[in-house]
This record gives sequence, structure tokens and C-alpha cells, in this order.
Amino acid sequence: MASRVVITGLGVVSPIGIGVSTFWKSAVAGQSGISTITSFDPFPMDGYRSKVAGQIRNFSPEQHIGSSLGDRVDRYAQFALAASREALSDSGMDIKKESPHRVGVIVGAGMGGMVMGEREITQLYLHQKPHRVHPNFIPVITLNSASGIVAMATGAKGPNLTISTACSSSAHALGQAWYCIRTGQADAVIVVGADASITPLVFAGFCSLRALSSKFNEQPERASRPFDRNRDGFVMGEGAGSLIVESLAHAKRRKARIYAELAGYAATSEAYHMVIPREDGEEVATTMKLALKAADVSPSEVDYINAHATSTNIGDAVEAKAIRALFKNRADRIAISATKSLVGHTLGAAGAIGAIATTLAIHTGQIHPTANYDDPDPDCRLSGISRDPQEKKIRAALLNAFGFGSNNAAVVLKRFRA
Amino acid sequence: MADRVIVDKIIQALAEYLKRDAGTIKAAHHLRDDLGLDSMAVIELLYKIEETFDLQIPDQDLVGLATVGSVASYVEGRLSPAKPAAKKTPKPIATKSPAKRKAK
Repeated sequence: MASRVVITGLGVVSPIGIGVSTFWKSAVAGQSGISTITSFDPFPMDGYRSKVAGQIRNFSPEQHIGSSLGDRVDRYAQFALAASREALSDSGMDIKKESPHRVGVIVGAGMGGMVMGEREITQLYLHQKPHRVHPNFIPVITLNSASGIVAMATGAKGPNLTISTACSSSAHALGQAWYCIRTGQADAVIVVGADASITPLVFAGFCSLRALSSKFNEQPERASRPFDRNRDGFVMGEGAGSLIVESLAHAKRRKARIYAELAGYAATSEAYHMVIPREDGEEVATTMKLALKAADVSPSEVDYINAHATSTNIGDAVEAKAIRALFKNRADRIAISATKSLVGHTLGAAGAIGAIATTLAIHTGQIHPTANYDDPDPDCRLSGISRDPQEKKIRAALLNAFGFGSNNAAVVLKRFRA
Repeated sequence: MADRVIVDKIIQALAEYLKRDAGTIKAAHHLRDDLGLDSMAVIELLYKIEETFDLQIPDQDLVGLATVGSVASYVEGRLSPAKPAAKKTPKPIATKSPAKRKAK
């Protein structure tokens, strides 16, 4: 019989706070972490159509990671280290007391080591001096550098994996951790989602895709506005979220505090288009339905959805349509919030940060607001979306994450009942 | 009706992209409904137009560019001396490599 899986620790590095306590306080207050990008030194900002992002300004590797472990990894991996450190501490789990090969690390990352990556790539093309490529370039851009460094920092020697499916990466990391524990490969998994790619080339790339908001450059905190009539694209963010996930038996043995149960998961592809979702929302609805089925949860038990909701014109409408189609006349009774309205789109970290918001919603009964939901778009209208905080006792919740590459994930979390 | 030279350049860009004869593409054609371009393809086309005519198309101007003719009129309007010149891109740091149109 497959193990039940529970969440016992949380850690976060985000544009609205480093550390779960600050993050959650800011989230419930509906605080935006979006600000003006002051510079992409040496590139002047007037070359960019969008000029706002969810940047983390006060992250110090010395302060937040401590050892020199963070020296040889890029920013996204430093975020991963800091978030996983907090999550482990929060869980109370001491890996030295565990069988180390029974504790895994699964990271979701979309872009990876782009800070150093871009610099080295452009230097080579500019100066054409291959022998001046930094020796650390390969270790830094190898996409599993974060999962590697987290294992090194924690001593977790179990399954060590990196999942890269763009914006759904860490939702899949959570889902794969669920499988891992249910199938007995590990007793516990340190799940992390991390990305830090607000960098000159990546940012320019998203601008060229016409995917980013550019109408609110003078009012950054208003730029990320999922489901709102005036939304005009997503806002890039950066950060990391970490969740300690373990089998119920393991959690009980060490008398861990249980936040919520990780109940189910679905991974699908729309097989449709690299960047555009199927407009009819059928594939999104199917993904949510499959996740609920895997969790053995009926749609009638879902009280909260942490939406993918990036603030793009098409994406938000498709998701709203899918929610209506699946939940039918219950759709308006489900509370919904869009974490990206506060922190922007943190790409590979989005699933994990959304999962943290979902876990805390279940644990506290508080649902954070969707910022800037001032003028509801009739095409996305769902009564459960609110720009104010909501209070609700949640039986089951869905976390949605949809990635470029026609990739969808949905994760089901439940209130834990012994 | 926009300048014929401009229309022809746009039709040529479309013909290359769609791999079809330029003679089959008309100014009245709707980019999506008649020529079958999805939103990503429209963005790629406009990227090529920006390069061809050395101008930058702000996000808010994209909405009106639905037909071959409207794209041509827009470009003509941007190029005419009466209108202010398009914002110049900053001087590139690296040596400019030939821009590649993204293959679909």
C-alpha cells in the first residue's frame, strides 16, 4: 500500500520576504514585491520595453547561507540553499540521525545559472578568448548545481534530481517527490523550486516574446494583475521555495509537526504550442481532474485553488475557463488566489512558492489576496478571486502550474487528518 | 493605401516565413484568419519587420496590426518625416551578429 505523504517544513526566499514568517505576513497583507529595475549594468534600461520585476534586493549569501558553500554556485542555487536550510530547520529533521540514502533532494528550476552564465557567454563572443572562460562556468550553469549543493549542504544522499519544465518545474518537483515517497524510494525529500534569471539577456528574451507587462512601468506595484481587465503580461520574479515532504510513518516516528498532506499530482502535456495554451482550457481542466483523481478527492471537496495566473491575457482566461468547466456551479464557491500578483513570476520557483502559500492557507485558514484585482475581467470572472484576504477552512486545495513547452502540472494538498 | 515598396517588403517577409509564393499574399489578408499566423508567429513577423525597417514597435501598438495592409500603413507612418523617429536601440556592446529569424 502506498505511503501517505505529508509536508513538515517550509522555507522561502522571495521578493516579499526572506523567510516564511516575513513572506506570509506580507502575502496576507497583499504586499507587492515588484519594483523598478534600476539597472542592468552595463545595459541602459531604455532598451527594454518592460522595466519592472520582482527582484530580491537584500539577499546576502554570507548572511543567509553562511559558509563558503555558496561561493561556487550561481544566485538561483544560493536561493535554493537558503530556502532549503530554513525548511529543514523548520521541520526539525536532523539528517545526521537519518539513513542518509533515504533522504532525497528534488529541485525544480527553469533557467538555472544565468547570472554567471550570460556574462561568460557574452564575454567569449566579445573577446574570443576561450582560455579566459572561468573554470567555474560549467559547474555553475549545469542545471543540477542547486540539487547538488543542497545535498552537499545537508548530507541528503537519496535520489537527487532536477526537473526543468519551465514555469511548472517545482510543481513537478513536488509531484515527483510524492511518487518517490509513495513508492518507497525515500522516507523524506527536500523539495526546492528556484530561479534567479532577471538578467540582461533573459529579461530581453521575455520582452521580445512580448510576454511581459509594459503598461505599468511607472507604477511597478500595479504591474502584476492576474484576472484583471487591464493586465498586459507577466512580471518576472526571482526566488526559491522549499518544502520538506516525508512519509506519514516517518513524520509520526519523529513526532514532526504536519502542515498538510500532499495528496495527489498530475503531469500532462497539451502537445499544442511552445508558449500558447489551448484556448478552450480543456487540457488545463483535464490536468486538474487527473490530479484530483490521483488524490482520491472529489471536486466538491476543493475549497481553494492557488492559481498559476501569471497576468497574461490568454493564460488567465484559459485557467478561469478550465476552473469553470471542471467545477461547474461550485466554481464560484472556491477561494482563489494568485501568488504571482505579489511576487511576480518566479519561473522555476513558482510551483514551490505557490505550494507554500497553499500549505499555509490550509494550516492557518487564511488565503492571501490577489493584488491589483481592481477591475475584474468578465472573461475570467470567478467569485472566489479577491483583492482582500479571505478566511476559510480548507479541506482540499489545488495548486496549478503551467509551463512553456506545453507542459501542465496540478498538485493536490489536503488538510491532514490522522 | 501604404507605399507599395513597404507592402512588398512585408509580403516578402511573410512569403519567406510561410514558405509560399509572395503572389498569393494580399494587403487585405488578415494575419491570423487568412494567413494562419498564431500570436507567436505574429510576434516573430513583427520582429523581422522591426529589423527590416530599423524601428521598434512598442507593445501597445501591436493591437492594431491585424492585416498585411495595417502593418504596412503603420510602418509607413513610423517612417514618415512628420512623425518622430522610432526610439533608437542603444549602441550594442558586443559585435553585432547577423540577426537570425527564429525557425518555427
